[in-house]
Amino acid sequence: MHLDPFELHRPTTVDETVRLAGALAGRFDFLAGGTDLLPNYKMHLNLKPHLVALEDVDELRGFSADRLGAMARLADLERDPAFAATWPSVADAVGEVATPLVRASGTVGGNLLLETRCFFFNQSYFWRASLGFCLKADGDRCHVVPQKEVCYATHSGDLAPALMVVDAEVEVAGPAGRRRLPLADLYDAKGDGVRRLTLAPGELLVAVHLPRAARGRRGRYKKLRVRPAYDFPELGVAVAGRWTGDRVEELRIAVGGAEPRPRRFDTLTDALVGRTLDDARLRELAEAIGKSVRPVHNTFLLPDYRRRMVAVYVRRAVAEAREGTAG
Amino acid sequence: MASGPSRPLRLLGTKIPYVEGPLKVTGRAEYTDDIHRPGELVGRLLRSPWPHARLRSIDVAAARATPGVFAVLTGEKYPTPFGVLPITHDETALAVGKVRYIGDIVAAVAARDERTAEEALAKIRIDVEPLADYPDPQTGLSKVAEPIHARGLNGTNVQKEVVQHFGDVDAAFARAARTVRVRGSFVGVTHAFTEPLVTLAEATPDGRLTVWSATQVPHYLHRSLSEVLGIPMHRIRVIKPEVGGGFGGKSDPLPHEIVCAALAVETGRPVRMLLDREDVFFTNHGRHPTQNDVRIALDADGRILAYDIEAVIDGGAWSSFGTVTTYYNGVLAMGPYTVPNFRYRGRRVYTTKPPSGAMRAHGGTNIRYSVEVALDRLAEETGVDPFDLRARNALPPHSLTVNQFRITSTSFLKCLAVARERSGWDSKFRRLPFGRGVGLGCGFYISGSNSPIHFTPKMPQSTVHLKVDMDGGIAVHSMQADIGQGSNTLLAAIVAEVLGVDLERVHVQRVDSDVSPIDIGSYSSRVTFMMGNAAREAAEELRGKIVAGAAALLGVPAEGLEVGHERIHPVGRPDAGVPFLDALHRAMESTGALQATGAYRSPTLGGTFKGARAGTAPAYTFSAYVAEVDVDVETGEYRVEKIWAAFDCGRVLNRLAVEGQVEGSIHMGLGQLMGESMNYRASRLFNPSLLEYKVPAPQQMPEVEILLVGDDDPEGPFGAKEAGEGPLIATLPAVGNALYDAVGCRFLELPITPDRVLKGLDLRAKEGRRWKGA
Repeated sequence: MHLDPFELHRPTTVDETVRLAGALAGRFDFLAGGTDLLPNYKMHLNLKPHLVALEDVDELRGFSADRLGAMARLADLERDPAFAATWPSVADAVGEVATPLVRASGTVGGNLLLETRCFFFNQSYFWRASLGFCLKADGDRCHVVPQKEVCYATHSGDLAPALMVVDAEVEVAGPAGRRRLPLADLYDAKGDGVRRLTLAPGELLVAVHLPRAARGRRGRYKKLRVRPAYDFPELGVAVAGRWTGDRVEELRIAVGGAEPRPRRFDTLTDALVGRTLDDARLRELAEAIGKSVRPVHNTFLLPDYRRRMVAVYVRRAVAEAREGTAG
Repeated sequence: MASGPSRPLRLLGTKIPYVEGPLKVTGRAEYTDDIHRPGELVGRLLRSPWPHARLRSIDVAAARATPGVFAVLTGEKYPTPFGVLPITHDETALAVGKVRYIGDIVAAVAARDERTAEEALAKIRIDVEPLADYPDPQTGLSKVAEPIHARGLNGTNVQKEVVQHFGDVDAAFARAARTVRVRGSFVGVTHAFTEPLVTLAEATPDGRLTVWSATQVPHYLHRSLSEVLGIPMHRIRVIKPEVGGGFGGKSDPLPHEIVCAALAVETGRPVRMLLDREDVFFTNHGRHPTQNDVRIALDADGRILAYDIEAVIDGGAWSSFGTVTTYYNGVLAMGPYTVPNFRYRGRRVYTTKPPSGAMRAHGGTNIRYSVEVALDRLAEETGVDPFDLRARNALPPHSLTVNQFRITSTSFLKCLAVARERSGWDSKFRRLPFGRGVGLGCGFYISGSNSPIHFTPKMPQSTVHLKVDMDGGIAVHSMQADIGQGSNTLLAAIVAEVLGVDLERVHVQRVDSDVSPIDIGSYSSRVTFMMGNAAREAAEELRGKIVAGAAALLGVPAEGLEVGHERIHPVGRPDAGVPFLDALHRAMESTGALQATGAYRSPTLGGTFKGARAGTAPAYTFSAYVAEVDVDVETGEYRVEKIWAAFDCGRVLNRLAVEGQVEGSIHMGLGQLMGESMNYRASRLFNPSLLEYKVPAPQQMPEVEILLVGDDDPEGPFGAKEAGEGPLIATLPAVGNALYDAVGCRFLELPITPDRVLKGLDLRAKEGRRWKGA
């Protein structure tokens, strides 16, 4: 497998990046850490002739307790104990991404926009050709759930659920200027594994904003995977909340790694505000979330097992978050 | 034959860092892909997208016409079949007439660069008649419409059937006090060595062909190249640079090696063929997917009366070592126990999947799991401690098994005793809380296959040459293949030990068939035992010459002299001697540089019945492992907390290397047990990558307490036996049995993934069985 040549662009400002994106419309990908994109390119997955590298765009770099630049490196976040104390669910998730080597290159934006994954997609050109291509690359049907409309590729980032439970917003720049939207809305509720984002063509993720109001929530991110390193999530559960004694003041739960997009379960959790979350009620909540999550057979572990684990992981994540120290 | 040491060992037995270690850790060691020749071309392979199909035509005209393409090859040019075993030559360099799995090589290109090569491959048009594929070995046991190979037995896909019966198994079962039956199921696993497969070949105008390759078996590669290319062996030169791991995955002559050499011959230019990871997965030759069925009979005293075993093993598209594997799945099941009656039926079946072959603890791993689980059950059902049951049945030293394996040294009872004591077994077994458990698994393995594959045992399996000149540096030549296991270091250390010199004087030369005398390679755990003896013999011959020089200088008879540290001196009087170099120079006066040679020949072993030689070895190793596990009973996830690894490898020669082999073996065994799996849907491999093939992460390694308890072996070099494969075997049943102790469920399907643990717990709950209060 080899990397086909591409033209590399290195803009230094957001405006220049947006202009370039407009000029190269449909013929480029943004290059952040490259830890996922370049392996995919080697497999000839949706190759583009141009790459717009974001590394030199100053505004995208760095992070604070309120703002994560899209190009903030996961390894840098990981090394900041103050950040971890303020945003425990996010710190958990950062530490669970892949390996230290990947985190040294990997970025916040890259993880949020990570390409969805599937056994039938993340394969070499030869492999895919031998089977007949799929909806997500070069083909017109899905092999997971055989039909020709919907792609079931799985959202596989760790950061999204962890940031969604602290009500993070994302700042986006595009031809029409800048806008801010809840992170949860970045993922298209009507979409699928291919049409997965609500970004308009040429739009660029600039930063993640962490609202002050969410500071002090206790949080936890728990990840199911075969090995405690390397692997993408087979399931990721994030929790953040506030309790007074046993009484729930705020509670957010998000699940990733199981469906084409990460999801929050506000209806279920809002119903608990002001109430005591005893073991029975927690179990009920966890079962309800477990019932609504529907993984398919496109990752290593079987979908029945992943689904069953949703309830267990939710229950444990909530219990551990509640026991954890507030930021 | 060499026996125990005549004086205390100075170097052997200590922790000896690898002689090439500084080069490896600084990136200076030379692997095949580090070697560059002027004018190199890139070789690339076109693989079959069909699991089984008849090739009607292959149109390579457009590929050949692509600018920058120097050669395009298809199967007809070099159709001579080959294979590691002379009796099963069913492999060809490129597919001839048929393709037999997704990934089978159909064509190859040599081009100026990678892109051009791939562009050319994309232009090759293949017309095929698709055939029914046979991913399931069970289907292949009966007559099939289109056998994968014409040599399949009676129109089936059975490549090899072994039927053996010693004693009277039916009578033994009829009088048994207790019997048990265990049916194990094992998916295929692969070696996952670090350095991918890579070969560089160059045909030169002097009519010679030089091949550098990442191989464990330079000599077998040498033979196969000669056979398939039709070039006499003396015109081919095989060089083995450093190799980054093999584990059996480089122990066959492999098709890409021959194709690469063929492209070099066709083009007259050097050709490099570096396989990527997906190619490596398709090449496979890993452990056979296996279904086995084990019945064991015990008498009223807890003595094993009989084994009755069946195994069906999935060979994939080619034979490879499969005939040996078929035997091993039976005959390696007996030791470390005395089994007076034994019946075995093993069948290896071709399937339309990447070929299976030899992998670390070849043929002895899957069957061992089922046997040890069966013994664990028998112990429970008869109310006997698992240690006691095994001790009662231990093979005695210096005995013959029912199938005429000659057992010499065994410290199996010592392994049992020390593992039991160190692990705190008696206070833990069935006494830890629900979810936590300990288990015992034992192992037995050959210390070198007694039969050289290609010639009679009259020819040495290993030869070592030494040469020393005025500089006092000792050059060592041998075709033994260091693949990272430390055989170069051991070779140097043995020579240094015998001569009494510092290790830095000894220079092990790179394997090069032009100068290296034959050693048949790194497989079957044979190198320490066989090369070690050859090295010792060579060094003793050289020592004799140098001592004669000292005797001449000192004016005393050689018989009164001994070798000290860098000196030769009268026995017990180091001060009265002469330095090594002085003695050497005196010895060189008549002949110039000194040379010496040593060789190892296998003893005559085994019975006279069909297949009697399979599994015979000049020595065997023994093990008893205890594992302690902690199970999360809600998720089925578990952690192996600790393994106590008691292993009998005879005398330990390089403690560092042996400990590394034990730890690495445990890691590899845990991989197969916990998550490694060649995942197929029908004939299609779904996870040909190191991301989706789950080699355990370092965090999954338990603490390992290594307990090396072997007594000296009478025939091993300085008393040593193997340590490369045997240490893997007991890992799997120790953990499997520990899981049972933890949660009360038997797991007979590997890998034991968390969902299977939960399934077991569900089943136990449904049956209403209680376990340790839960």
